[in-house]
Amino acid sequence: MARIVGGFGISHTPSMGLEFDKGMAGAWAPQWQPWFEGTRPVKDWLERVAPDRLMIVYNDHLNHFDFSACPTLAIGVSERYPQADEGWGPRPYPDLLGDTAMSLHMTERLVRGGFDLTVCQDLSVDHGIYSWLPYLFDAPWQVPVCPVAVNMVRHPIPTNQRLWDLGRAIGAAIRAMPGDERVVVVGTGGMSHQISGARFGIANEGLDRWFLRHLGNDPQMLIDTPQEEFMRFGGTEASELAIWFAMRGALSKNVLEAYSYYTFPAVTGCGVVVYEEKT
Amino acid sequence: MSNSMALTLDPPGTFVYTAEMALKGHRLTAFGLSLRQAQNREAFLADEAGYMRRHGLSDADIAHVLARDWTALIAAGGHLQSMLKVAATVGQNLWHIGAHNAGMTVEELMAICPRRISAVPGEES
Repeated sequence: MARIVGGFGISHTPSMGLEFDKGMAGAWAPQWQPWFEGTRPVKDWLERVAPDRLMIVYNDHLNHFDFSACPTLAIGVSERYPQADEGWGPRPYPDLLGDTAMSLHMTERLVRGGFDLTVCQDLSVDHGIYSWLPYLFDAPWQVPVCPVAVNMVRHPIPTNQRLWDLGRAIGAAIRAMPGDERVVVVGTGGMSHQISGARFGIANEGLDRWFLRHLGNDPQMLIDTPQEEFMRFGGTEASELAIWFAMRGALSKNVLEAYSYYTFPAVTGCGVVVYEEKT
Repeated sequence: MSNSMALTLDPPGTFVYTAEMALKGHRLTAFGLSLRQAQNREAFLADEAGYMRRHGLSDADIAHVLARDWTALIAAGGHLQSMLKVAATVGQNLWHIGAHNAGMTVEELMAICPRRISAVPGEES
């Protein structure tokens, strides 16, 4: 049977991807350099645990979906996931690799388990995944992914508890996969930030660090905190933290916190936390 | 420039993108998202008003886009992620939208960001 070797939560922003490209071209921005150095141990950890599949729960920012049909929960079932054009042209990276057998298994298990996912045989992926993946993995990509997209652009968004339950179901489904794959589960959503309205640019480092501190050992306390409270204290887009519950829920109750890092480069709190399953 | 902010979710500080906003701004948001395609960006830049009329935008929405009135567009239900594509197409970015929303220049906004709040749920003073 497949095994979950660990998981991580990570923030995403368009600028962290664009700044990485500029840095690789020789121009690292001083305010972004700590983040790229701070995530280096995550890359080292991934090399050590050597996953051969990634289960990624993320949110699309109206780059693939639009309001003609905007699924609350969707899964990709494809051999390739191209990069979405976010309005300024794609960055120079190949398509993500998919694994249709894994995606079909996950779809089967999750739908039969009560999660009515929209099934996407064509899915382009935006900075929700592409902003951090290129510096945690080297192109050309070797590890196929199974993406699940969560609506965070139009309220109502799924509840904290629903995403935790989704994570529990994802964890059970992965453990029931017939192969011997080593799977890492990823939950990615922005930390404190608000990018519209007169409150544009608010930053709550205390909120983000509080979240990172409790997600490992006391997730229920965070789940019980209303999403409006995250939005009020951390900005409207801090609601994306709910996605991290899907990652945490997929893992065991007792996990080792292998690494955690936080910084605030520009207008978005940037954090990462890595959990490793005990063997 | 004051940097103290109320911890509320009310406009104009905050626009929560509700179903009502989505319905009100349906065409406007769809127009912005059409600019995800390079050929549409070219067509828009060649004739902004004509392109928007072909997409069924109201005269008010067209005027707001031509004036780069990001605050009016957000209030009209244009989703931020969609208006961001309009901004990118006309050579602006998130900071221009944010500065307009916050009622200051881009330089002023950049100078006060990050706008720090320190409180967590349950510990409000």
